[in-house]
Amino acid sequence: MTAPTANLSRRRRIGRWRPLTDNPVFIKEIRGRMRGARAFVVLTFYLALLGAFTGLMYLAVAESAMSVSGQTNVGEIGRTLFVSIVAIEMLLVSFIAPAFTAGAISGEREHQTFDLLRTTLLGPASFVLGKLLSSMLYVLLLLLAAVPLQSIAFFFGGVAETEVILSFVILIVTALLFSTVGVFYSARSHRTLSASVLTYASVAFFTFGLPIMVGAVLLMFGFSFNNVQSSTPQIALLYLLGALICTNPAATALMTQWVLLNQQTIGAFTYTLAGGETITLISPWIPFTALYLTLTLIFFVLAVRRVRTIEN
Amino acid sequence: MADELIIETQGLTKRYGKLVAVNNLSLQVPRGAIYGFVGPNGAGKTTTMRILTTLITPTAGDAYVAGYSVVDYPREVRRAIGYMPDFFGVYDDMKVWEYLDFFAACYEIPERERAGLINDLLALVDLTHRRDDMVEKLSRGMKQRLSLARTLAHDPEVLILDEPASGLDPRARIEIRELLVEMARMGKTIFFSSHILADVAEICTHLGIIESGEIVAQGTVTEIRRQLMPAREILITLLDRIDAAKETLMHIEGVTGIHDMPDDHGRRRIRVDFTGDDEGVSQLLMALSARGIPVVNFAEETHDLETVFMRATKGIVS
Repeated sequence: MTAPTANLSRRRRIGRWRPLTDNPVFIKEIRGRMRGARAFVVLTFYLALLGAFTGLMYLAVAESAMSVSGQTNVGEIGRTLFVSIVAIEMLLVSFIAPAFTAGAISGEREHQTFDLLRTTLLGPASFVLGKLLSSMLYVLLLLLAAVPLQSIAFFFGGVAETEVILSFVILIVTALLFSTVGVFYSARSHRTLSASVLTYASVAFFTFGLPIMVGAVLLMFGFSFNNVQSSTPQIALLYLLGALICTNPAATALMTQWVLLNQQTIGAFTYTLAGGETITLISPWIPFTALYLTLTLIFFVLAVRRVRTIEN
Repeated sequence: MADELIIETQGLTKRYGKLVAVNNLSLQVPRGAIYGFVGPNGAGKTTTMRILTTLITPTAGDAYVAGYSVVDYPREVRRAIGYMPDFFGVYDDMKVWEYLDFFAACYEIPERERAGLINDLLALVDLTHRRDDMVEKLSRGMKQRLSLARTLAHDPEVLILDEPASGLDPRARIEIRELLVEMARMGKTIFFSSHILADVAEICTHLGIIESGEIVAQGTVTEIRRQLMPAREILITLLDRIDAAKETLMHIEGVTGIHDMPDDHGRRRIRVDFTGDDEGVSQLLMALSARGIPVVNFAEETHDLETVFMRATKGIVS
């Protein structure tokens, strides 16, 4: 028997780019996701949580803003509300986004549909991309659904459009990486449970673990921004700290806002050290976005490779 | 066309550590055949099928489906086969038509062609009336029929079906069997496994018997019979003169053995093992009549496949 060789694809065939509406997994997932009550229950629960939190924040902030100065600082209320909403959104998105993807591929294994799919012409990249983007679409829905709540902050003033857009970018990028991490572990695990555990462990590391570790180290050394001297090791330490901030979405968001308010920029700025020397720094959201997108790509490629692997 | 092989394996071997699941297996499935792949549970049927469907790679040897090596051209193999595993892959949140639509899309069938295709497939497996029901609401037999419809979505040349009738009630089993025959009539080659010989015997044209990872016998059903039962068995009932009959038969070429059988209502019976052809068989009878031996009944005993199978697998069948 002779195998035809002329212009036929070998095992490693590069997937043809197709529009998303042609991706069967994407279509199936979004159809399935919005079917039944679950999607709406999650959305309602999420908005209720966010709404209740915003209400509480308002009560707390309005009280203190009035009592401190005797004169209401409305802009302060708006800003605090906005920061609180973004913070809670970040928390929710960090933990909801991977929940959708951690079961995406291991679930197919558990339902014994994974083998069926692998005997079709569906490429591994289309498969993973369909799973990832259908989850992201729902996360996008959650984020958009929270826009009216964020808008309450506009009502008080003190928040610029730039802040809203940047917070949205940071949230989306965070959700994208955490979803991809979920897909990655899902591709590696045979059980959704272990995929979920590994995913949440990774997410917890990014969101809480790293900052706590960094914070502990800083406390130990008694480091403070304000007395950074012009010595080279000190400056290097400052850069290192800046780089660490860019690994954490919450720290990135806070620092980006700080830079925006104090340096009036969303790009590069110069910072004058206590010793009088100036150094150039960059708003953390830029390296953060670059880092998270790169990691997303890496995890995506690893997930695709795992799906492509034929068992022995 | 008749001799063209659509599935061929050469020295196919699959080892899991020390366990040899498939050992130097050489399968030959001609185009257009209904090939029953029979063996006890754990004989290596599923492993072989998983290699043929590109889900696992062989440890040694190669397999060709529609002329393509499963190792080197998995994508071309996937295009040529429709695979139904021994379990039903359920998506709990899908409608019947969506299930077919999804898999048709996975086979890159353009959207505008899918609606017509789905209707045709549903009509073929008699599920048109369940088009908008959820898949999980279907009975087991219906799910199995839906699975069969799915395997046909991309109009493959070969259907590879792992235990298509297992776990079904008798009625559903017959329906599946009829569908297989119908699909063969549509020009599909059907390669299916079973551990129940009765499922296979009635419809298949070819048979492969596997045990402990090795092929015991393979070929057309008639060939298998001949291969496994080299001697024909002829049962002769006599009124009398049994010794004369034995004496006569003993000297005829091709007779390899004569055995006394228990009496049947006072009639004497003997069984003759004979390796000759049909003409030879008639010679036997003529020889007896020539000597005036009173033959009451003269018949060749045909063995059903079950007996053949039991002999082939030497009772190791679980």
